[in-house]
Amino acid sequence: MKFKDYYQSLGLQRGASEEEIKKAYRRLARQYHPDISKETGAEERFKEISEAYQTLSDPEKRQAYDDLGRHRPGEEFRPPPDWETRFWGGQTHQEVDLSELFEQMGFRSSQRRRQAGGVDFPIRGQDVEAVVRLTLDEVSRGSQVTLERPGGGSVRIRVPQGVTDGERLRIPGRGGAGSGGGPDGDVYLHIQLQPHPLFRPVGHDLYLELPLTPWEAALGSQIELPSLDGRVRVTVKPGAQAGQKLRLAGKGLPKRGEGAGDLYAVLQIVVPTQISEREQELYRELATVSTFQPRPHDTGGATHA
Amino acid sequence: MPDDLLIPVDGESSLESEELLAASGLAHEELVELVEFGVFETSDGAKGWSFQARVVHQARRAVKLRDTFGLNPPGMALALTYLEKIEALEQRLRELECLVPR
Repeated sequence: MKFKDYYQSLGLQRGASEEEIKKAYRRLARQYHPDISKETGAEERFKEISEAYQTLSDPEKRQAYDDLGRHRPGEEFRPPPDWETRFWGGQTHQEVDLSELFEQMGFRSSQRRRQAGGVDFPIRGQDVEAVVRLTLDEVSRGSQVTLERPGGGSVRIRVPQGVTDGERLRIPGRGGAGSGGGPDGDVYLHIQLQPHPLFRPVGHDLYLELPLTPWEAALGSQIELPSLDGRVRVTVKPGAQAGQKLRLAGKGLPKRGEGAGDLYAVLQIVVPTQISEREQELYRELATVSTFQPRPHDTGGATHA
Repeated sequence: MPDDLLIPVDGESSLESEELLAASGLAHEELVELVEFGVFETSDGAKGWSFQARVVHQARRAVKLRDTFGLNPPGMALALTYLEKIEALEQRLRELECLVPR
């Protein structure tokens, strides 16, 4: 089993008081709660903090944890032999995570209490939560993911067409098994979209940058651009402006029921940084011929370098 | 069932209060208060309130905030409202960022 330093997770010394543990947890939770922090890794950090707090805030679990002694985080160690019988009924434990062990511990002790009281009350099974990172193509076609179930086995889940970034999906009754007649837990998937080199999704719409040369913008042009289902042709009208959006209806991400979002090509006018003698000549000629004045408040002409 | 394919609930299907409470871990009184604050929309179901299935995700979020920060229902209502506003603004920001050259 891999050791985790719960005190270190909370930034505490081993002898920290209950009050200090609570304070450290609150401060870190505010910093890393996934609803608050958008930092990458915040969700994992928050899980780590919560896991540490769940063990250290419970006196029975904290004592058991302290009994493990000190190890380096990530170091392989064997829990004391009596733990097997004490906490998980002598089951073999090749790949047990420390957190599962402490969860079991709480579970076992509540079971013990239950048996002592002679009342068998129902416990709802654990929910299974997973983050699923999908590509735009997977989202637009619909896809499948495979999840490990707690306690072994795996399930396949259909991710329907039309999910969006940040969406959550629920599959009732397919999480961990309930006990004492309690219902099974649920499965939750948190959808995250992987960034795409070209398309940026906003809901079901997609945005694509469309760089144009000054003459394409001035004269208008037919341009081929990529979409999720192959290349499409668009017409840029003469006098196109930077920031203008060309809308390609229905070329965005498909929606759940029917229809789809739109694809927006955002025009950008790009000026070459290095031009030849001949090009310079043509620009100069254009400058003398053109009466175009982009600065209406300016009365004077342009100053040429 | 070794190899069946599970299909998630459609967010627009309906969900009864009882299932919402069980799945989220909200207490009944908390749910009542959150509905009173207008955080969750209800319609009349066969057994009292009925919700859109996607409400379960908001409710679970409320419970996580409650458990982490010790919030009461007015606090949960406020936090959820702010989070939804922030998310709407983030969406708008993403849209505007797409109009600005990278």
